[in-house]
Amino acid sequence: MSHPQRAAAFTSDAERTTWHDETLWFVRQKRDKAVYAIPEFQQLRQLASDIKEHTLSRLDEYLEQFEQNARANGVQVHWAADAAEHNRIVLDIMRGVGATSLVKSKSMLTEECHLNPFLIKNGIAVVDTDLGERIVQLREEAPSHLVLPAIHLKKEDVGETFHVHLGTPKGEKDPQNLTEAARQHLREKFLIGQVAITGVNFAVAETGAVVVCTNEGNADLGVNLAQVHIACMGMEKLIPRTADLGVFTRLLARSATGQPVTTYTSHFAKPAEGRAMHIVIVDNGRTRQLGRPDFRNSLKCIRCGACMNTCPVYRRSGGHSYDFTVPGPIGAILSPNIDMRQHSTLPFASTLCGSCTDVCPVKIDIHAQLYKWRQIIAQEGELPASKKLGMKLLSTVLAHPGIYRFGGKIAREGLRLLPHGLTHAAAFNPWAKARELPEPPKQSFRDWYAEQVVKL
Amino acid sequence: MKVGLFIPCYIDQFYPQVGIATYQLLEKLGVQADFPRQQTCCGQPMANTGCEQDAKPVYHHFVDTFAGYDYVVAPSGSCVYHVRKHYDVVEQTGAVQHVRQSTFDLFDFITTVLGVTELPGRFPHQVGLHLSCHGQRGLHQANESEMTPVRDGQLSRLLRSVDGLTLTELNRNDECCGFGGTFCITEEAVSARMGQDRVQDHLLNGTEVLTGGDMSCLMHLEGIVRRRQLPMRVMHAAEIFNAALPQPSPSVSTFVPQPIVAES
Amino acid sequence: MSSRESILAAVRRNRPEPTPLPPVADFGGEATVEQFAHWLHFIGGQVIRLAADQPLEDAIRQLFPDAGRVASDLMPSTVPVDQQTPTAVLEAVDVAVLRGELGVAENGAVWVPEANMLHRALPMIAQHLALVLDHENIVATMHQAYAAVQHTGNYGVFIAGPSKTADIEQSLVIGAHGARSLVVLLR
Repeated sequence: MSHPQRAAAFTSDAERTTWHDETLWFVRQKRDKAVYAIPEFQQLRQLASDIKEHTLSRLDEYLEQFEQNARANGVQVHWAADAAEHNRIVLDIMRGVGATSLVKSKSMLTEECHLNPFLIKNGIAVVDTDLGERIVQLREEAPSHLVLPAIHLKKEDVGETFHVHLGTPKGEKDPQNLTEAARQHLREKFLIGQVAITGVNFAVAETGAVVVCTNEGNADLGVNLAQVHIACMGMEKLIPRTADLGVFTRLLARSATGQPVTTYTSHFAKPAEGRAMHIVIVDNGRTRQLGRPDFRNSLKCIRCGACMNTCPVYRRSGGHSYDFTVPGPIGAILSPNIDMRQHSTLPFASTLCGSCTDVCPVKIDIHAQLYKWRQIIAQEGELPASKKLGMKLLSTVLAHPGIYRFGGKIAREGLRLLPHGLTHAAAFNPWAKARELPEPPKQSFRDWYAEQVVKL
Repeated sequence: MKVGLFIPCYIDQFYPQVGIATYQLLEKLGVQADFPRQQTCCGQPMANTGCEQDAKPVYHHFVDTFAGYDYVVAPSGSCVYHVRKHYDVVEQTGAVQHVRQSTFDLFDFITTVLGVTELPGRFPHQVGLHLSCHGQRGLHQANESEMTPVRDGQLSRLLRSVDGLTLTELNRNDECCGFGGTFCITEEAVSARMGQDRVQDHLLNGTEVLTGGDMSCLMHLEGIVRRRQLPMRVMHAAEIFNAALPQPSPSVSTFVPQPIVAES
Repeated sequence: MSSRESILAAVRRNRPEPTPLPPVADFGGEATVEQFAHWLHFIGGQVIRLAADQPLEDAIRQLFPDAGRVASDLMPSTVPVDQQTPTAVLEAVDVAVLRGELGVAENGAVWVPEANMLHRALPMIAQHLALVLDHENIVATMHQAYAAVQHTGNYGVFIAGPSKTADIEQSLVIGAHGARSLVVLLR
């Protein structure tokens, strides 16, 4: 299935589409309000972009510095070339301490690596502890948004899921009560979790610390009650200095949800006495993306989700329509690096309106990269044949004024003379499903102009 | 000053009144524009579909057509953005550079080059302005809501200056309409939904005449307005100004700007 | 070649031309109690100003009249907590009263380093959290906060308000997994 097909399925429920669009637009408005209040916001974006670009330009050095400092803190550092190696490392750590249960706070990286199914297959009980993640886990779905994993669901859906899995009363749909039920349910899991996995928002090279940002407190609760903490990070999470956190913490939550900062900004450098901490640094295609000059700056992404909230296409097609770990505009420029054929329709799931680029707190030129991926996808022969042929034909027409004038006249006259039922048949003309074609005039502009010149 | 008029293909064939209004509006402002007949298209439809390589002959044709003009003016920010931003894939000859620098959206030309920020005339209607993304976010002709709460821009200033015209306050000032070139066909469902939502915003807030600077967005929105038989007219802003502005006396044309010199 | 070596080699091969690291930023700002209180209130927290001679335990008793199990190193405590305290004991704490090192005016966050926590899990596992903060230790923004903290230590957290979530239909619910309420007591 392609993005247009999945998107069409989503929009076919008009009411839910309205709700999805308006809910995420509300988040975008909260972001605007928070951003307008900071006079230096645009300078912060530039700083964040410059810091990330600098870090990428010396990434090997910062990775080594980070590793050295983390080791000095008593942390074990692991390197994974791909998802399979990452998953194996996590399983080996678990087996090494004889652990069979795991609590996990939000980590898009482990989603990307499909860690959960791998561990479950190997007999590990995995509990996602972020509320949204837990909801989609119970439903055996993928998150549909970076920051709001269950944003595709209504409270009735969540109520039904909790009724089945947590035993809440049938028909209970009050978010307060449902959240309380999840709190009680997950507290039990926290108390028995042997190993806690967290994602990483930022990894500070000069201290070896990893920084995790949450609103619920689930990362801290999981880590601080478990014997072993495993922090899984993409290698692009590095920043050079603790002071750089000042820039990124001011941007992240404001861009994501309009909050001035996340509730918990937690800095983990050294395990508590008698406990262990591991960091897994993952490549999984990132070094390849680093080697693509047109696309490497997608690695600046701090996963705030602002591009999703602002994207008029995402808001009306839902996160699952992208069928990739990271949905929305940023996912559409990250996914072709992973599998161009499978994700070939994603860079086209955009009007190139540019709003994503304008909200991005680290100034990734998302819409420009969408345009560039389109060129590569076409060159690699991944366009549908009809599109390819059409564009060749169009080019011939447009480079030859004579043919062009003739073709234009045919189109106008055809539209004028053919019956409406034929020109507007939805089966042949997708335009006409919801729209009228222009009313064709008798005279083109160029014909009118020719008459004027004669008059002059 | 030699001004070449670029009238995009679909305007030429389906919206000649927009081309005519553009031509006459410029005339009223003292600019006698020329329409080179060999012109076709800027190549954007192909390039946005990923076929930039196929579009190169079209780029060359565009440059050949307009290289001899001081300015190229088009009633479509999207085409202008494409020429300025994406003609970087052909060899940057003097002609290419000159054409890229001197191609202007009509209202950018009126505001920046002609220095006109107010237009006399009367148009007693509530007008809803659709900000087209390529003009706004691409060419920075209006403030972006991603950056600032201030809602201002070249076209809204010109419209506000017209006597009797009130501008609609929209719930979403600058949301994309969903046209997006071939997007409107390949992603028909989302495209149509986006257009419907845009039109609805105008309808709710009292727009009688829906306008904008880019006919491609307006073609899409008009298609929805007509399909739903909504009480709303769709007009390109050039049509509004041309209708509002009185005919000038023959001697008014005094404006002589300096031509842009291409950087080598 | 190990994955470590192959990854680092690939980075060296593919990394772009070096660009400079910008100097540490500081945009000034308002480091006032009013701003701090405004933002803490905005994010669901509460600010109480302690009178100079008011004992902390009085304020806590007024705020949490029903709290039987209080963990603190700042006032008489009913539950002794240290790094070895078992989870079952921690889990039963009603209120943790801990010292905050630094407040941030632009967002209501309070820096709580490990040394102030008694047990690393206490600020999150306690049902309610009270942080005692010197009103002179309020800085304007996160830039000054990190400059003041300098090294974030073995473990430390900026805590901004009570635990919260909006994962169900974007409805804000206070009290997700961590503390159900947060009060900052300003001295």
